[in-house]
Order: sequence, then C-alpha cells, then structure tokens
Amino acid sequence: MAVAERLDGDFVRRWIVEAARGIREQRDYLTQLDAAIGDADHGANMDRGFEAALAGLSPVDGSPGELLARVGDTLVLTVGGAAGPLYGSAFRCMGRELADADVFDAEGLLSLLRAGLGEMKRLGAARLGDKTIVDAFEPATIAFERGLRAGEELGRAAARARAAAEEGMLATVPMQARKGRASYLGPRSVGHQDPGATSTMILFAALERAVTGGDGEP
Amino acid sequence: MIQSVRRAGAILRELGSGDKRLGVTELADRLGLAKATVYGLLRSLEAEELVERDVETGKYRLGPTLLQLGNAYLDAHELRARSLLWADSLATRTSEAVRVGVPNGHNVLIVHHVFRPDNSVQILEVGAAIPWHVSALGKAIAAYDDPDVARRLLEGPLPRLTGRTITDPEELARALEEIHRSGVAVEDQEAVIGEAEVAAAVLDHHGRPLGAIGVAGPVERLILDGVVRADVVGAVKESARGLSRELGGGRRFARAH
Repeated sequence: MAVAERLDGDFVRRWIVEAARGIREQRDYLTQLDAAIGDADHGANMDRGFEAALAGLSPVDGSPGELLARVGDTLVLTVGGAAGPLYGSAFRCMGRELADADVFDAEGLLSLLRAGLGEMKRLGAARLGDKTIVDAFEPATIAFERGLRAGEELGRAAARARAAAEEGMLATVPMQARKGRASYLGPRSVGHQDPGATSTMILFAALERAVTGGDGEP
Repeated sequence: MIQSVRRAGAILRELGSGDKRLGVTELADRLGLAKATVYGLLRSLEAEELVERDVETGKYRLGPTLLQLGNAYLDAHELRARSLLWADSLATRTSEAVRVGVPNGHNVLIVHHVFRPDNSVQILEVGAAIPWHVSALGKAIAAYDDPDVARRLLEGPLPRLTGRTITDPEELARALEEIHRSGVAVEDQEAVIGEAEVAAAVLDHHGRPLGAIGVAGPVERLILDGVVRADVVGAVKESARGLSRELGGGRRFARAH
C-alpha cells in the first residue's frame, strides 16, 4: 500500500470522497439504527450532507485547512439534526487547526482529529459512555496517537484508529444514552447501537482508505 | 412497606429496562432473590396481566395492562385532556412539533406530543422526563412557580446536557425573571444539539402553573439569526392563554402577561 506521508488538499478530498461513499453505502443501515432511538433521519441527513460537501471540493482549490472548513460549513447547513452542528463544527475546527498550511503530516492529522473531538465534546458536553459520537471518536483518536508514538507509519496508525472506532461503536450497544434525544428514552435506549458512533466509524474507515491512497473517485 | 409489593415493583422495572425479555433465573440473579420467590411473584403479576410469558422461550416481558395504566395516568392530567385540540392547532399553525409538559419533581414530564406535520419519522416523547432547566416547558413552569418551589429547583441538580445548558443557578434565576416578564420561555440547544423549543406556562385560577405548552423543532427553523420566530411566539402564547382560560386561569393569566 502506498501511504501518503505528505497530506494535502487532495488528501482532504479523498477523505470526503471515501466518507461520502461509505455513508451512501450504509445510508439505510444508519437510518435503521436511528429509527430505534431517534428520528430515523441520520442516514438520509448524513448522505445529503456529505454529497453536498463533496460537491464543494471539486475542484480542489484551496489549502487543506480551507477545504476542511468548507466541508464543515456545508455539513452545518445541510445535515440538520444534532449531527449537522456536531460534525460541521468539528470539521470547521479541524480546518482552523491547519491554518493556511499547504501540506501537513501525521502529527498534523493527529492535532486536527484532537481539535475536532474537543469541539464536539464541548458542544455536546459529552463524555465517554454517554452513547454518542464521542464513544467512537475518542478511542479512535487515542489509538491513532498511540500508533504514532509507537513509531508506526501513518497507514498502520490509521488502521488502528479505524479498529478502535469500530470497537467503540460496538461498545455503545449496551449503554444507556445520557446525551441527546435518545436520553429521553432512558433504559429503552439500551441494546441499540448509537447511529452517531456508527457514522464516526465510517469516517475513520474513510480516513484509513484516504491515507492509503484510495482511488479518489466518488 | 410490604415486601412483596416492592419486589413486584423491582421486577417490573427490570422488565422495563434494556433487556425486554427475562427468564426467572436472570431476574432472580439481578434482584438477588430465590428463584422460587421470583417465580411466585411472576405468576401473580401474570394473573394480573402486568407481565406476560413468551410461550416459546418461557421468558417474561411487560404485560398489556401496563399500557392501559399508563394511559390512565396520562388521562388523569386534566391539562393533557384539554390540550389535545390546542396542541393540534398549534402544530398546524407553526408547522412544527408541539409538546405539553407537567412539573414532576426536578423534571418536566411530557404528557402530550404532536408530531411536526410533515410526514417525517419522529419518535413519540410522551412519558419522557426532561430536566426542567434544559426545557422551555420546564423553565416556563418554574417562572410561575411559588418562590419556595423555584428556589428548590434552582438549588437542586442542574445536569449539563449540552455545551449550551445553563447550569449556573443565578443565571437561571435571571432567565426565569425574564420569562415571567415576557410570558415566553426559549430553549436554544440546551437539551439536544440542533434543537430548540419555545413554550409558555398554563396557569390555574390562582396563577399557579399547571404545566406548559410549547413548539419544538430544529433550531434553524425556530431561531433565525438569534431571534425567535415571532409567529411561533405569538401562537404559543395564544395557545397557553386559551388553555389557561379553559382551565379556569384566564383572568389571572391575562394579568400576569
């Protein structure tokens, strides 16, 4: 696998291409998960948002930071629900983290993941175990950092992050929601996988593919 | 306290939590009781149709009588019975979802919910207990509460549900004064990111709050550039005033606003 160690605007586009594809493929699954504990609109909302975000990246005409911020703006405007403000603000924050750098490296990717995670935790006041996006995003970010600190190459660390996101996503099943609308359901939310943690897993799977090249085709 | 009644209650709560079907052994383990005891309780509950036994698996789940009891509980709230028509018309006028809540300790209990009339899939929130301070319904009620009641609420738990939840008692107290002055309570993503609610209290003839009625929906549809949609505010206040009048609080309510 060819791993791009220099990440640029094309990398950002590859990430969003892969994310949009993953969400499109899992759209009905996300909706089905959301029907159990939410408004059954997470799949449709995310699909609409990432298609729009992808459309905004053709051509790739800006620094990686600008592109990420643009993705964030689009998600805020098009996704709706809680996911729009949360993911949208996270991507905006990632964009700000990069400022106007033309390229960044694995450490830069780590700092932008951290920035995105921090923003979502701040907005949602969510912690690990609340049955939210954070339950997949936080372990994935920690696993990515651990991989880098262990001297792993970017592709390997990204694979580790994806695996941790997946594990975190599955761990939401027995949790009782403490944040978001699902928390109104009290114990009824137990036994259902969190749709937000699931879409986060899709974003980390997309990140892994983008890092290892991907085909860059929507 | 009668032990078997408490134990029967514990069984019902277990069956009402995440695992919706449980066997005698599982229940006995969870409650720390002998299997024979649990079996006897389950048989009695089954006879009262408070639980039912799945023929194939032999496991127990909640029974149909509970739904009737739940509905009877809701019907006991006169506000709910009176609010049905008002809530429907408020939802139609604003094209948004409407919720009616009553005070329940530190929570507001949703006793009626009309879906946003757009055919989208929505989840019924009747029965949900929402911390009062993260809900426009809860704040609208608290603003008209007896000062002692309001103080207890402000001194009670104020959990943070989003980054926008107001958890400072002094800030909340100021918000309640403002709500009392304006007659309308607004909640902006304080309970759930992306969602907002506009509500007004329904008062009895002593001016005491019976509950509240409000419009809930995506924040971008209710609050535009930091300003709450005026037609929503007007419609919510009108509905609350109408309901208060029907419930005998008309004159006092008019004065309060």
